[in-house]
Amino acid sequence: MKRLQENRIELLSNYLKKSGLSPELLPEILDHLACEAEERLWDGDSFECAFSGIVETADPDTLHILSVEHNHLLAMEKTLNDIVFEGRNKSYGAYQLRKGYNSTMQRSVLLGVTFFLLIMLLPNLYARLVPEREKDDIGFEVKLTTVDIKPETTPPPLPVEPPKAEPQPSTVKSTSYDVLPDHMVVEEATPPTVDDLEHALPGQETVEGTSDLMDIVPPSAEAPAGKGKAVEAEAPKEETFIIVEQAPAYLGGNAAMAEFLRKNLKYPAQASRANIQGKVFVSFIVGSDGRIEDVKTLKGIGFGCDEEAERVIKLMPNWKAGRQSGTPVRVRFNLPIVFQLD
Amino acid sequence: MDTNTTSNEYVRGTLKTIVLNLLAEEKRMYGYEITQEVKERTGGAIALTFGALYPVLHKLEQEGLLVTESVEVDGRLRKYYSLTTPGNEAARVKTDDLERFVDAIRLLLAPKSLATE
Repeated sequence: MKRLQENRIELLSNYLKKSGLSPELLPEILDHLACEAEERLWDGDSFECAFSGIVETADPDTLHILSVEHNHLLAMEKTLNDIVFEGRNKSYGAYQLRKGYNSTMQRSVLLGVTFFLLIMLLPNLYARLVPEREKDDIGFEVKLTTVDIKPETTPPPLPVEPPKAEPQPSTVKSTSYDVLPDHMVVEEATPPTVDDLEHALPGQETVEGTSDLMDIVPPSAEAPAGKGKAVEAEAPKEETFIIVEQAPAYLGGNAAMAEFLRKNLKYPAQASRANIQGKVFVSFIVGSDGRIEDVKTLKGIGFGCDEEAERVIKLMPNWKAGRQSGTPVRVRFNLPIVFQLD
Repeated sequence: MDTNTTSNEYVRGTLKTIVLNLLAEEKRMYGYEITQEVKERTGGAIALTFGALYPVLHKLEQEGLLVTESVEVDGRLRKYYSLTTPGNEAARVKTDDLERFVDAIRLLLAPKSLATE
């Protein structure tokens, strides 16, 4: 079979393009026509003759109809999206989104409905999965018993022990004497003698006592047994002394205290500005444990010096407590703090 | 020329069946080969024009009855058509249909000719 030369094929191709054949159809038709041309050449025709024959069969009208039909065929496949996006940037994303819209919707609806049903049916599923309790678990057999209601009985009052007979001291009748006219005076009413009172106390009547006790016993009602403790807990207020045998002292002596004061005492800026000097008398109590409390200024010079003095006193470590007859006691102590500008 | 056009009229209706039937026999053909085959078998009685053939091929392809593969032959792209599984089924059905139709037509035409004889 004779082959068409490249330039002849080119010629055919150009003819087809000029006729307005759609490019999608071009290779196929070109091949068809080329085959036909080769057939004609085989039959002995010259190329020009073959070409004109081909043009006769494949006239522009036929080619046009072919193109149109092909387009119609393609159009049938086209959706609205293809028409909308004809000649536009399809790779931008909107086209893909639109194309996949139906399947996306379908999937989402399916998922949504499934999820919703799952949520709705969850209690039912749970009930199915978790076995129901046995009947015995729910019902309880309760035996009814008659409740014997007894009237509340008050416990019998505890037998009150008769108060023990207090040891009674012997008494001798010794009453006050009334001043009466002579005829009304009873003879017996004579005051007890000293001898009588040696072994007895004066009383309303002369009674032989049960003991030799001569103490005066307070009446039992006056000292309630249960409250004795509370009275005891109330520690007696420690007496604060002013002067004691052994005065309290700063641990380490006066030199150490001077050193402490020098270290800690700051001249208040206010006072130094106002050029204030003088002594601040501070009063405080040195406790029996040596602690310093109740710090107050007796006589100050103001300008922040009083507060400063008090602050430093409060800052002091425990003192050696003062002692009175050997036992440590609280002592009020007065200390002058000197503020002096250099 | 006159006979040719009338034959074309009938061809148009049966073209699909012709193509499917041919492909069922030959497995793989290209457009020009089909026209040549038809021309050869019918002795030139039926000549398919490419203007009629190709739209039919494309349509069948779109319907999923044919698949194509492009092979480069002599520096040109040649498109080969072959049947798919539904295409095979369609070929069988259409051929049967046409045969019954032809039989019916024959019956329709025969009595007259017999009567005249």
